[in-house]
Order: sequence, then structure tokens, then C-alpha cells
Amino acid sequence: MSEVEETLKRIQSHKGVIGTIVVNAEGIPIRTTLDNSTTVQYAGLLHQLTMKARSTVRDIDPQNDLTFLRVRSKKHEIMVAPDKEYLLIVIQNPSE
Amino acid sequence: MFTDETLETVGAESLWRKSRLLQQESKTCQTAELKTAEVEVQAGHTSENATQTEADEHRTQHFALERESPIHYPGLGEFLHSVEGVVVKELKRNVKSHAFEGFEVNWEDQSETVSCLHALQYSEAQESGLQVTSLSWNTTGSVVACAYGRLDDGDWSTEKSFVCTWNLDRRGLNPKRPDLVIDVPTSVMCLSFHPSKPSLIAGGLYSGEVLVWDTSRTLDPLCARTAMSDETHREPVYQVHWVPGARRGGGFSVLSAGADGRILVWQLDSEGQLTLSDGFALVTQQVPRNIKLSKARGDSLLGVTSLSLCPWDSDMFLVGVEGGLVLKCSFSTHTPAAVSSPSSGLALRAPAQFSFSSHAGPIHAIHCSPFHRNLFLCAGMDGHAHLRSLLQATPLLSLRLSDSYLFSVRWSPTRPLVFAAATGQGSVVIFDLGQGSLRPAATIEQDAGGKPVYCLEFNPKQPHLLAAGNADGTVKIWQLSAELIEQGQREAAQLEQLANEATE
Repeated sequence: MSEVEETLKRIQSHKGVIGTIVVNAEGIPIRTTLDNSTTVQYAGLLHQLTMKARSTVRDIDPQNDLTFLRVRSKKHEIMVAPDKEYLLIVIQNPSE
Repeated sequence: MFTDETLETVGAESLWRKSRLLQQESKTCQTAELKTAEVEVQAGHTSENATQTEADEHRTQHFALERESPIHYPGLGEFLHSVEGVVVKELKRNVKSHAFEGFEVNWEDQSETVSCLHALQYSEAQESGLQVTSLSWNTTGSVVACAYGRLDDGDWSTEKSFVCTWNLDRRGLNPKRPDLVIDVPTSVMCLSFHPSKPSLIAGGLYSGEVLVWDTSRTLDPLCARTAMSDETHREPVYQVHWVPGARRGGGFSVLSAGADGRILVWQLDSEGQLTLSDGFALVTQQVPRNIKLSKARGDSLLGVTSLSLCPWDSDMFLVGVEGGLVLKCSFSTHTPAAVSSPSSGLALRAPAQFSFSSHAGPIHAIHCSPFHRNLFLCAGMDGHAHLRSLLQATPLLSLRLSDSYLFSVRWSPTRPLVFAAATGQGSVVIFDLGQGSLRPAATIEQDAGGKPVYCLEFNPKQPHLLAAGNADGTVKIWQLSAELIEQGQREAAQLEQLANEATE
């Protein structure tokens, strides 16, 4: 199995992880462990949110940049690791 | 003179030509003998296996999601390599962190108490002393319809009754005057709004007819009815539901169940007739034998008093019967029912597959949990509500909610552990399984002068509204407090735990 698949598998197997999605720069998901409709929804919404968060950080201080985004909700926590070309989204249920 | 003379023939031999015969040689050859052998083999034991995939109905967007995709994304490997460390560190920290424990955020105004928003009445119905027998919210959650009739009469009543609808989102809502009143020749026993068309209502009558009204038609709302024939119900229809049609992507059909033990599926056709498309009959002798039925004759039909469709499994439905029996039934059975079928008609089938332990009295309400595929509630005349699992015959929990009868029980659409029950003493009891106590979380007095509450329904789109109809002919709309509506963090997991206690 390729290294990409192995890395994703390692992340997915952590305690409480519900799903892992890799999104490209246009907001299109390229790897996922969830079903199609959920993936499309998460990818679209979180891509927009990440872009907004990044522009917020850079507006406040142009020398600064977004490194990590975490959204905590009643039911779980969504973590987004951004990059120039890709986005890694991990959804975890921390109380399990 | 002249005489005949014969001369000898003269021959000359050829010197250079010899007879070919001398130079011919004949040769023969033969192959060696072929060795052959025969062997036979036969399999003493065979087995067959086959698989088939189903056509995929919902094809949403297509995008390149193949696992071993030949498309190589440049830089993907390096990207993952660089973020993996950070992400894994955060994941581990999250699991151990106590940072957010007990941290609650209030987004909306919390209402602390349960209050009565409206008390809807129709004066003509109240004057005739009619009771509210059934309620239904429409699919958008803004219209509530109630059916008037009698539940305490044993007689064949021929008095007229009504179906009234009120639109709660309208500004000029007058609780004393319904927006629409439909006259019906006999008592209506049950109502159900269409799951996607907000103006269609199906109702079952005391006379056994099933009618469908379209509230958007001003002249005559009656849009379809069943003809009276051998095949239709001859006894009161106690439950009416909309089920998805047999064809994929097709419309909905009406399912009706009555006291004559028959469960029939009707299709609406364009001429305003409801045509029978499928039917089932519950006969005592065909009920699965794991529970013994006492004293009932083998071929008698079991009257159906309550029915619930399962939101998780479209093939299954649960039926509660007059004698207190709860049965699990399937739409796709093939066993024919042991009743004499009419000559030209539909052959009825026996749907029962499994019977659960019985209650001591007719079951008035069954409801499948919208949050867990195996759990359901049933309540009957003995004042007890049973929480049961589909996997076992005995109930998981038996709660005594009232000293008198229980007429209806419904799960809350938003909180997995909460359900509401309508009692014969005139109150609505809301119970929270997560609290661990045997006392209800809230009791709402309907102020009906001690008359029973016959039906209750949660609003599917606005979960803080609960409608309850009682025997004096009023329908009260209650607004529930926030703690009864908002889902806590672990509720789904607690429900799962409760369900798993069954198998141990």
C-alpha cells in the first residue's frame, strides 16, 4: 500500500476518529473515509471556512498565517490542517 | 479360284519399354498400437454461492475518489507527511483533555417551563359531545388537523362528525374557529397527513371506509374514497398511515388497519377511487407459536388497534392487537392468510413473523424509536408503557405511568431518551429514560376535567410543540421547555447501552 494510504490509515485508526478527508486547493475531496454525500458537504463547507479563517488572520497581521483550525461542537471536534495545495480534515469524537 | 485364308498374327516386342509391373513395389506401414485408458471423476458434494449487487439509486456528484487511483497527486505524500505529526498530537491531546467538560453554550433563549400556547376548539363538535380521536401535524409543521368521533361508544353510531384543521403560523389564528372544517358522515377514528405533500390527509372511519382529503381544494376536499365491497374493511379502521409505494420513486400508498384484522394497502388513482393493491390478514392460528394465545378460536381474526412503521427498515412493521399481543410483521411475506378470500379479489397474506410477550389489554399505541433501530415503545390499557427491543420477546423496561389507561405514546423527535404518553386521567406524562428515576420528568395537566387525553403528536419540524387532544373536544398545543427538547451529549450512547442490556 502506498505511503499516502498508510498515513491516512494511521490517522483514521486513532481513538475517537470518525472520519478523515483530504481536499485539494479547489475544494474537491480527493481521499475520504466517509460516504459520498457527507464528504461533499464537509469538504465544501470547511474549505470555505478555512479560507475565511485564513483571510481573517492575515487581515489582522499580514505577516501571520493560519496554521491549524479547530471547530468544537456539542457532538464532536473538527480539525483542519491547511496547506498551499491541500487540506486535511479530521473529525473526532473526543468523549468516547 | 478364290478361297478364304487366315494368316497368323505377327507381333514385335518392344526393346526399350518394359512392363511397368516389374518396377512396382508395394509397401505398407502401420502405427504401433495406441494405449488408451479411461478414468471418471464425480464430485460427491456440491455447493453453490451467488452474489448480486443492487442498482445504486442515488448517484450524487462523481469525483475522483478511487482508492488505488492511478491519478497521482503531486505533493500529496509530502503534505501528509508534514501534517501528520501535528494532527496526531492534537488527536491524542483531545482524548485526554478535560478542557471542555461541563462547558455548555446557550445559543437560544431557554424557556424554563412548559406553557400552553393554544387551546383549539370547534364549537359544533363540542356541542354534540364529540371527542378528539386523532391528531396529525402536516409535513411542514404548520398545520394541525384533528378528527372528531367517539371512542367510548360501543354502538354503531351514525352521527356526523368533523375533521378540522388549524394553521398555527397564520397571523389571524382564531382558536375557536378552524381554518377548514370537513364534514364526515360517521366518526373518524384516525388521521394521517401525507409525508411530503402538505395538503393531503388520509382518514379512517368507524364504518370501515378510508377517505383521502385534499385541503387545497376549496370546493370539495374529498379527493378519494374506498368503495364498499367484500374486500374493504367492515369494521372501524383504527390506524391509517402513508407508506412508500412499491415502485421505486413512486408515490405513497395508504395503509389502513382495522378491527376486522385486515391490513390493506390502497393506491390513489386518478378517478378519485382508492384501489386495493395489497392486503394482509391476521388470523389467530397463523400467529407464531412462541407465545400461547389463550382461548381464541383458531380461525378468528385479530383486530388491529395500533400500528407502527419502522423508519430504519422499510419492510417491517409492528402491530398491536386487541388481545394485547404485539407482533412483528413483514410486507414481503408469501404465506397466504387462512381466510376465505373473495372470488375476484386480492389474496390476503399472513404477515406475522414474531410475537412478543403480551400486555393485559388492548394495545393503544406502538411507536418505533427514531434514534435506535431495535427499540420501540408500546402502551396499553393496563397503564404500563413497555420499552422493548426487536431482538427479544420480553420487555426491557416496564414503566407504570398512570393508574388508568394509556391511550398514546410517542418518542420525542429530538431527544433519544425522552417520550411522552397520554393518560386516561387527563394528563400528558413526559418521561426521560436518562434520569434513571421511575418518576416522570414532567406532567402536563390538560385541564379536561378528568377526561382522558386520547392522542398526542410531536411537531416534526418545530420540536418544541406538542399537540394533545382530549375527550372534551379541545386540542391543546403546548410549548415544551428547553431541557425537554435539546439533545445532550451522550444521549445516543446511553440509548445504545440500554438497548444492549437486552442481549445480556
